Parts: sequence; C-alpha cells; structure tokens
Amino acid sequence: MSAPFDIAIVGGGIMGCATALRLADGGMTAVILDQGDLGQGASGVNAGTLSLQIKRVALMPYALRGHREWQAMGDAVGFHRTGGYTLAFTADEAALLQERQALKAAAGAPISFVSPNELFTHEPHLARKVAAASFCAEDGYANASLTGAYYRARLSAAGVPYRERQEVRDISRTQGTYDLVTPGGTIRARRILLAAGAWLRPLASHLGVDLPVRARVNTVSVTERQPPLLGSVIGHATGLLTMKQKPNGTLLIGGGWQGAGQPQDGRGQVRMDTLRPNLALAQHVVPALAKARILRSWTGFEANVPDFYPLAGSLPGLEDAFVLGCVRGGYTIGPYIGKLMGDLILGRELELPLFDPGRDFERTDP
Amino acid sequence: MTGDLDTDVAVLGAGPAGGNAALGAARAGLRVALVDEQQDAGGQVWRAKGKAIRAAPETPESRAGSQLRALIAASAVDHLADTRLWQIERHGPAWRLGLLQGGEPVQLTARALVVASGAREFVQPVPGWTTPGVLGLAGATALLKRDMVVPGAATIVAGTGPLVFFTAAEIRRLGGHVQAIVTPNTRADWMRALPAMLVRPDLLARGARWMADLALSGVPIHWGHALSRVIGEDRVVGAEVHPLDSDWRPAGPVREIAADSLCLGNGLVPSIEAAQLAGCPIRHDPALGGWVPDADDEGKTPVDGLFVCGDGAGIRGAAAAAYQGSLAGQGVARFLGAQVPGIGPRHLRRYRRAAAFGRAMTALSAPRPGLSSLIDDATVLCRCEGVTSGALRQAIAAGATSANATKSGLRCGMGPCGGAYCQTAVTRQIAVSTGRSEGEVPPPTARPPLRPVPLGGLAGDIAYEDLPIPKPAPL
Amino acid sequence: MIRLIPDQSRRIRRTAEVTFWFDDAQIPAHEGEPVATALLRAGQLRLRDAPTVAEGASAARGLFCCMGACQECAVEVDGAVVEACRLEAVEGLRVRSLGRGA
Ligand SMILES: Cc1cc2nc3c(=O)[nH]c(=O)nc-3n(C[C@H](O)[C@@H](O)[C@H](O)COP(=O)(O)OP(=O)(O)OC[C@H]3O[C@@H](n4cnc5c(N)ncnc54)[C@H](O)[C@@H]3O)c2cc1C
Ligand SMILES: Cc1cc2nc3c(=O)[nH]c(=O)nc-3n(C[C@H](O)[C@H](O)[C@H](O)COP(=O)(O)OP(=O)(O)OC[C@H]3O[C@@H](n4cnc5c(N)ncnc54)[C@H](O)[C@@H]3O)c2cc1C
Ligand code: FES
Repeated sequence: MSAPFDIAIVGGGIMGCATALRLADGGMTAVILDQGDLGQGASGVNAGTLSLQIKRVALMPYALRGHREWQAMGDAVGFHRTGGYTLAFTADEAALLQERQALKAAAGAPISFVSPNELFTHEPHLARKVAAASFCAEDGYANASLTGAYYRARLSAAGVPYRERQEVRDISRTQGTYDLVTPGGTIRARRILLAAGAWLRPLASHLGVDLPVRARVNTVSVTERQPPLLGSVIGHATGLLTMKQKPNGTLLIGGGWQGAGQPQDGRGQVRMDTLRPNLALAQHVVPALAKARILRSWTGFEANVPDFYPLAGSLPGLEDAFVLGCVRGGYTIGPYIGKLMGDLILGRELELPLFDPGRDFERTDP
Repeated sequence: MTGDLDTDVAVLGAGPAGGNAALGAARAGLRVALVDEQQDAGGQVWRAKGKAIRAAPETPESRAGSQLRALIAASAVDHLADTRLWQIERHGPAWRLGLLQGGEPVQLTARALVVASGAREFVQPVPGWTTPGVLGLAGATALLKRDMVVPGAATIVAGTGPLVFFTAAEIRRLGGHVQAIVTPNTRADWMRALPAMLVRPDLLARGARWMADLALSGVPIHWGHALSRVIGEDRVVGAEVHPLDSDWRPAGPVREIAADSLCLGNGLVPSIEAAQLAGCPIRHDPALGGWVPDADDEGKTPVDGLFVCGDGAGIRGAAAAAYQGSLAGQGVARFLGAQVPGIGPRHLRRYRRAAAFGRAMTALSAPRPGLSSLIDDATVLCRCEGVTSGALRQAIAAGATSANATKSGLRCGMGPCGGAYCQTAVTRQIAVSTGRSEGEVPPPTARPPLRPVPLGGLAGDIAYEDLPIPKPAPL
Repeated sequence: MIRLIPDQSRRIRRTAEVTFWFDDAQIPAHEGEPVATALLRAGQLRLRDAPTVAEGASAARGLFCCMGACQECAVEVDGAVVEACRLEAVEGLRVRSLGRGA
C-alpha cells in the first residue's frame, strides 16, 4: 500500500483548492477529491461579485484581504476592479442603505455615498428612479466559470493531485489514518479537510459529527451580448440584485433569489416565481434590458449554518480533522480564508481568527 | 402571470409523435394542450407550407401533415401554436410549464406531461462549415417544405443516410440544380440495409425513383466520400471532397466541386433538453442517435407523469414517431385513469416494425469514428462562441475532461444555441482524448430557457411595489 | 432529358410581393415569407457577423438550421434580437444585421 497523504481534501471548490495550495506551499502532500469536476459547485456557478458593500460587517477584514488575493489572481480568473454602486429606490431602502453602509465603512470598507448626478454620469443606462446610491471603488467581479480551469492549472503547477468524479462515500479512521472510500479506490491520509460546500452535512456524518448545514438555492441568469450598458458592479440595497456586464457584453444577473431542490438530489432548479421578479428588478434598474434575450438561468447551492458565520477550524471531538465552508460571500473570501485554514493545519500563527465549528450556533455573534 | 392555463395533459411538440399523443389523450376524454413553436402542426417531417405559399403540389409529407392538422383541428385538443416552451417545473404532482406566446409569458399547469420534442441534426464540423451558404441537410428540408425555395443555383448535397437523397430529390422537384451528391455511405452499406427496408415497400419504391432520376439526369453521386472543406470566404463557392476508408477516415486524393450552396448533415440527435429539465434520467444508446431519455416503448419514464415519444426519445423515424405518439397517448391516459379507445397490441407491433426500419436508417446515418478526423485544429466547433477544435484540445489537455468543464472554461456551448450544435462533436472529442467511450461523457446540464427569451417577456409587467422582497440578510 | 422527378416549381402560387429593409438594402419578399428565405433568394447570404472569431476565420454567418434553434440567422428588429428564419416579411419591415460594424 502506498504511503498515506499528509491530508485529503474532500471538495474541489474554492475553499478546498485555496487551502490545498497553501498546504502544498507549506510542504504537505495533499490530494483533492471531488464528486464532479473541480469548481462544479457553488464556486463555479456563482455570480462572481467581489463586493465589499454586500459583505457582513464581521467578515469585512477577511473580505478586504480576499480582494487583494483576487487582484493578484488577475486575468486568469477574469478579475476586474470596476467599482460598484448599491442602489436604493425608496425612502425605506435609502434608510436601510445608509445605516448598513455606515457600519461597513466603519469596519474598513471604503464606501461613500454619491449624488444621482454623479451616478448617472458614470452609469447612464440606469433608470432615473434612484433614491440613494453608495459607491465602493474596491468592488468588481471575477468570472466564476473559470474557477475549475484556474485551480486545475494552479494545483498541477504546485504538484497537488486532484481526482475528479470521485465521490467520497465513506470515511473511517484506523491507526491514525483516515480511509476515504471513492469509486476509484480507498484514499489514505493522516489528516482530512471537509470542504464539501452544501454537501458538508452528509459528509461529516460519516465521522459521526452533525453539522447544522443548510443550503440556499441561489439563481443566476445571463443575457446575450449587449451593447455597453453597465461599467460597474450594480447591487440593490436589499441585496436582491447583483448585476455586471462582462467584457464580452453579456450581463450576469443574480441576487440570491431562491430556486428549488436539495444538494443531495443533484442540481437545483430554477423557479419561474422567483426568476421573474429577479429579472423584473433587473429591468427596473436597467430598462434597456427588456429587449435583451436571456440565454441561461441556473442555480447553485450556497451553504450556511444558523448564525450565518463560517465553519472554519477543527471538527469537534476529532483529531486531525478540519472543516471549511458556509462562508457568506465565500467566493470573495475563499482565496484568503483558504490560506488561513492552511496556516491552521500547518500549525502556523493566524493573521486573523477562524470560526470554531464546535460553537453554539444559536448565538448571534461568532 | 398573464393568462394562466390549466389542463390534464400538456404535450410538447406537434410533430407525428406529439400530435398523435395529443389526439389519443383527447379521445380518452382528457383535456389536452399541445404546445409547438411552429405555426402549424406537423413537426419537422410533415412541416406545413408557410404563409407565403398559397397553393402547391402535394407530396406524401404534405398529405400526411394535412391529415394530422385536420384531425387536430377537428379534435378537442387545444393547440397552442407559435408558442415556445422555455421552462418545465414540478410542483407536487403537477407540472408547471413556462411558455412564451407572442412575446407574452403564459404558465400552463398540467397533471401529466408528454415530451415529443423531436430531433436536431448533427452536422459534422469541417473547415469552413460556418460559411454562409452552408445549410444543415435537415434544415434544408424545412426551407424546401415551408418556403418551397431551393438553397441556391447549384447545390452540393452531402451527408449520410436517406435524407441526402430526399433533399436532392426535393431540390430537383422545386426546380433547383443538384451539382453533386456526396455521401460517406457506400452502395454496399445500402445493400446491407435492404432487408430491413423491405417492410416499407412504399419508401423503397420512392427511393428507387429518386436514384433513377438522379442517374438519368447525370447528377454525380460520390459514394464513400465526405465533404471535407468548404471553400469561400463570406459565401460558399465550392467544396473539397475526399474518398473515405471503411472507418470514414479520409483516404485518397481530394477533389474540388464548385457550388454556391451546400447542404450538410450526418444524422439526427434526439433533443433531450426538455426531458432533462423535467428530471428524466438519460442513457447513451448509439443506435438511437446518442443520449436518450430513459423510457419504455410506451414512452413511460421513471419520472411520475412524464412520458417521452418520437425522435426526442431516440431516432426511429417519422412512422415510428407517429405510432409511439399513439402509445404514449395511451400511456398518459392510463396514468390519469382514462382509456384511449382502439389502441392495442396491434399498435405496439406496428410501432416495433416501424422502429426497426427507422433504426436501420439511423444506423446508416450515424457517423463512423473516422469522420471526426475531418476536423483540423482551426475548425470551429462551437459556432456561437467561435471555439476551435485546437482550443478544445488544449483545454482537455489542461484537465477539462467533462462537457460541463469545457463549457465553463472555454464558453464552448455557452452561446445562444445552448450547445445544441456543438456538444455532440465536443463530447466526442473529450471521449477520444481521454480514452473513454462516448457513453462516459454525458452532455452538459440542461438549463432553462430552452430557447433564448427576451428578458422583458419573462419579467412581464411586475410593478416595483409588487416585487416580493424578503427581509434583508443579517448584517 | 427524361425526368422521373418533374420540376413542379411553376405550379407553386405565392403571396403578393412586399419589400423590407435589410440594413440599407431593399429586399423583395412574398408577404409572410421568412425574412431569411427572402434574403437567400436575393443572394444576401451573410446575415450577421459572429462576435468572436477564431484567427484567420471569417465572421460571416448565415441561415443554417432553418428551424429557430441554431441562432445563426439572428437579426435585429426594433432593438430586439429575433431569428430571421422565423420572422415573417411584411411591407416596410426594418431589419438590421448584427455585428456588422455600426
Ligand atoms: C430539421 C429536420 C428536418 C427533418 N426532415 C425530415 C424529412 O424530411 N423526412 C423524414 O423522414 N424525417 C425528417 N426529419 C426527421 C424527423 O425527426 C422525423 O423523424 C419526425 O419529424 C419525428 O417526429 P417527432 O414528432 O418525433 O418530432 P418532430 O417532428 O421534430 O416534432 C417536434 C416538434 O416539437 C417542437 N418543439 C421542440 N421544442 C420545442 C420548444 N421548446 N417549444 C415549442 N416547440 C418545440 C418543434 O417545433 C417540432 O414541431 C427531420 C428532422 C429535422 C430535425
Ligand atoms: C448562485 C450563487 C451565487 C453566489 N454569488 C456569490 C457572489 O457573487 N460573490 C461571492 O462572494 N459569493 C457568492 N456565492 C457564494 C460562494 O459561491 C460560495 O460561498 C463558495 O463558492 C463556496 O465554496 P465551497 O468551496 O465551500 O463550496 P463549493 O464550491 O460548492 O464546493 C464544494 C465541492 O465539494 C464537492 N463535494 C461535495 N460532496 C462531496 C463528496 N462526498 N465527495 C467529493 N466531493 C464532494 C462538490 O462537488 C463541490 O465541488 C454565491 C453562491 C451561489 C450558489
Ligand atoms: S437558421 Fe437556425 S435559428 Fe434560424
């Protein structure tokens, strides 16, 4: 039998891949196992918004550092720092926006409010119904479709093997080694990191740990190529709209409208009763979109726990077993929190604290 | 939503399969809505003449189509013509379908769903196949039947199976000039198919007449040849033609033929996206044209209340599609506790006989592996996004080893056609490059909308105040 | 020459002629005829230019599937993209090509 890996990582999303790179950098032998392709989960189908304006206050330090990581990843992930506007259309929304952005600015995000004039000068295709708008120059986007291709190249260069279409069906531990059962055989490793996104709960149950992980089913749509309509990332005060136009002219429309389905049943389903208001909101914001053709709508599973803070640390009650997932805005934060996770596993000092997976999830602060 | 509809049975596709399924279910006393994006029923094979044609000589296809259209008109079937289906949802036991009717969104709720979405053609990519003047071979039949217009002044008809000869004969009937016929099949291939064809003496006689006409009129037929390159920058001026070996790999000297138009097609591929959206598992069966929904002869699928029939359930041809449509009509009626009078074992036998004939034609039409070697690195595979075979090869070498992965990394199949015209070639190349069989490389996940739809059409007229805005996420 | 398949083209009766605009060209069509078909008869095969083209390849694209699926015949009418193979010609219709410069 060949020597066990230092660590087996279950889940080839952004969390698993970013951590693997850090671990390889620290000299560990790692292997990534994914039930499908790398980046086929949330990390490859998300809206790709890198926005400080929609991050949770307590996660702001992580998001700020995440933005730096994306900047460095650059063209290979389709990174663009465009600046972003968050819009309010009613007095209530404006009040909500004011209150929230003030707290986020206090947490370090360079957010300011702009006049309608300034807004329309930069974004002439927006509807003239805006009541208030905040701006953050740090905001932008990357192309989530490229997650798989990007990490395949990085992992290969770093010498980290990854195995696709290898669902981990069981995990057990004998004599200090974890055995992971996959269709291609049993993988042995001294440590294990669960980074299985919305599929964490059944995976952790193999180890007798119950993680209260639930999944949201977020919807994203893309239009056909359009003439220039938007230069920056656009959000809505309620968070129910994110919109950006890619260099190729297509517009990506998200906002977390809920589709249907469960992670264990495969992919989720788009629902007309949420897709339609999602698109109606987009059209309200950019009226010229009415004639744009939608080419595709899809969903992805975004995992969370009841307090909506990350699971990032040691699995309670187990040795050499770790979990990383359930990060709100996890695409933005992933490349950075993956490094932190790597540092934790390597026994290094952490730049920022992680989030104990053994905590009481009913409390409201992490 | 404006104008929501409710029915017992929703049928997608008013071709021979869907048309007969709808008629059957209606005869069982069920309320039936028949959805098709075309103006008239008839599907691909029995496509009706277009609005610009006042009168024209009848053909066997036009007669069969008129008959189906008359039956539907006389029945209780609610035919939603010029209506596009873009989304399929399951809500408890009911189906909810998203339709677009004249730009307006309509929701149709049904207790059972019959998917009879038909086929699309596989056009073997060759250098220059995106040049204007290159029509799909099956596509050309639409032009010929609906518009009664020929593809050009001098047309090369190229491809596999019987459709090359049908198309050539139709071009001649409508006054066009067939410059040459180029088909990878050999006379020997056809001789081997002959026993299976004997069950349809009518079609055999018709085919014999086409062949005799072509011979008398001196149209060259290049048996065992493939069209290997299209010549012309912004419009077709000719094509290169290669002799093939038994694996259909080019072997021997190339020849050039001048033409202003080409019809090119290599068999049909079931349109399975609607069935996939409805949650139907798929399996790979090369004898039926590739990936097909999992279903029995009656079109019953593992999904409760979902039936599939016709070429969308596997390429078995028009006659089998009509019989299987009737069987699916019976199946769906039974599922809803009703009974179609007059459908029995005789129908099943007829279906099987017709299907055997259709499968023989599918076998003649299916490309053999060597045909893929007509693709060079500069050949465009994904027409929408301009992705070349060379780019795909590199992406596969870099580890993109599934259709979803090449789609994400390369945008291959992400354009307006939704991958309909590239995924067969793409998954084939992935399979070859990674040493797997085609059955181990499934097509990409199906996503709505099934056709591009204007955002305004989906959004409809929801007022801002009426948007269901939930409470904001935690800070 | 003996023909076993007679030329029936003269027996086809079509609707009255109308004209529509394709960019700056006036194109004759039979009323209700698909715009793409009328353009084909007029020798106008190049319906649009593809947005992304492989090196050395031509961007020109035209009618292909004839059934509203491939989207190669996409044109613009009133700011909306529609399939020319499913668009009926009516008198004075203004059709614009996509991706051809201005
Ligand atoms: C372009 C083409 C031309 C063909 N020509 C011939 C021929 O000349 N002779 C021959 O023997 N065979 C021909 N075939 C083969 C053909 O598939 C027949 O075997 C036969 O038409 C199959 O019948 P069907 O009812 O299964 O499907 P079809 O006849 O294809 O009917 C399917 C119907 O579904 C509709 N549809 C599909 N998706 C949607 C949607 N999302 N919304 C609304 N409507 C939808 C289509 O408009 C179509 O009318 C052709 C195939 C193609 C693709
Ligand atoms: C539609 C959508 C839009 C979003 N938009 C944004 C946004 O704009 N900005 C932002 O910052 N964040 C966004 N997010 C959130 C972000 O995408 C996620 O937080 C992040 O990608 C999660 O990464 P992950 O690696 O934890 O999970 P995933 O990417 O889901 O990866 C988990 C992986 O584990 C694999 N796996 C699961 N079980 C097993 C098993 N048993 N064996 C082997 N492999 C297994 C899966 O196949 C999957 O690849 C969005 C999320 C969604 C769903
Ligand atoms: S030619 Fe394919 S959509 Fe019109």
